[in-house]
Amino acid sequence: MNQQLAVLLADVFAMRVSDIHPDLKKDDVGSWDSLKQMDLVMSLERTYGIALDIPDILQMVSVAAVIAVLIAKGVDLGD
Amino acid sequence: MEIEGAIALVTGGAQGLGLAIAAHLAALGARVVVADHNAETLSRLPEGLEPARLDVTQPAEVKAAVAEILARHERLDILVNNAGSIYSEAFVNLMNPAGIMHDYERFRRSLTVNLDSVFIVTSAVVEQMVRRRTGGAIVNISSISAGGNEGQTAYAAAKAGVNAMTVTWAKELGRWGIRCNAVAPGFIATVSTQGALTASVLKHIQDSTPLRRLGEASEVAQAVSCVIANDFINGAVLNVNGGLTI
Repeated sequence: MNQQLAVLLADVFAMRVSDIHPDLKKDDVGSWDSLKQMDLVMSLERTYGIALDIPDILQMVSVAAVIAVLIAKGVDLGD
Repeated sequence: MEIEGAIALVTGGAQGLGLAIAAHLAALGARVVVADHNAETLSRLPEGLEPARLDVTQPAEVKAAVAEILARHERLDILVNNAGSIYSEAFVNLMNPAGIMHDYERFRRSLTVNLDSVFIVTSAVVEQMVRRRTGGAIVNISSISAGGNEGQTAYAAAKAGVNAMTVTWAKELGRWGIRCNAVAPGFIATVSTQGALTASVLKHIQDSTPLRRLGEASEVAQAVSCVIANDFINGAVLNVNGGLTI
């Protein structure tokens, strides 16, 4: 799990970095609602200099899906 | 936000307060599209304002109009939700032989015109601002009646709803760089105010106002441009009433 992304996700969802892993799904995270989804989008766009489209955003319902979208956008997560 | 060069949409902007707001924004250098349902008043718009005939209570029509504005101007930076209609009816009217209670259909109609319309237009505009990541400024025209006003159950409820939506959107949309504020005029010297109130009521209002006069439409327009221009004002409901409510 890429450390920078784990820190970003932990920050958005107010979780411990150690609790962030690719298998984590939206339904497992109590704070992952539509408002947090907007915060997540803004944070990812700022951090990685990308623009996320609505279909990308709708796909992001798990950490694995977030990773897949970032990779598809050309983000190098290094692992 | 820099108003000069911005693209603005002003609903209900073909006459009265809306026209004053549209003309003021245009004078500050904005390109202003004026939406109104009244083709006749639209045809008499001053030069420089772009007319768009529109019923703000019809979601599909509004979406199409916003798409058309974006096709023409490529972006939309400012939305002023001014369209609405003052409606007065006592909740209990013992002099009405048809029924002593406020008519429900007319209550619903006032909510549609004054509250639903703000939701419908803002929804269409904000969707584009979010999709395009352009940010923007929304200004909702509220009213002194939002605090509750005798004889205006529907209108007061609608305007209180507008204030609540303003604050909600300010909280929710700030992360997208979209600010939302309201301007709440008191009694303004417009044709509709003069027509709705008797001379004695107007005199009473003036005597109760610390500044001892009615407001001018231009002063409401200045308040609108102020909340647009200041990038740190968000979620405000700015009273423009001469101090009547203090």
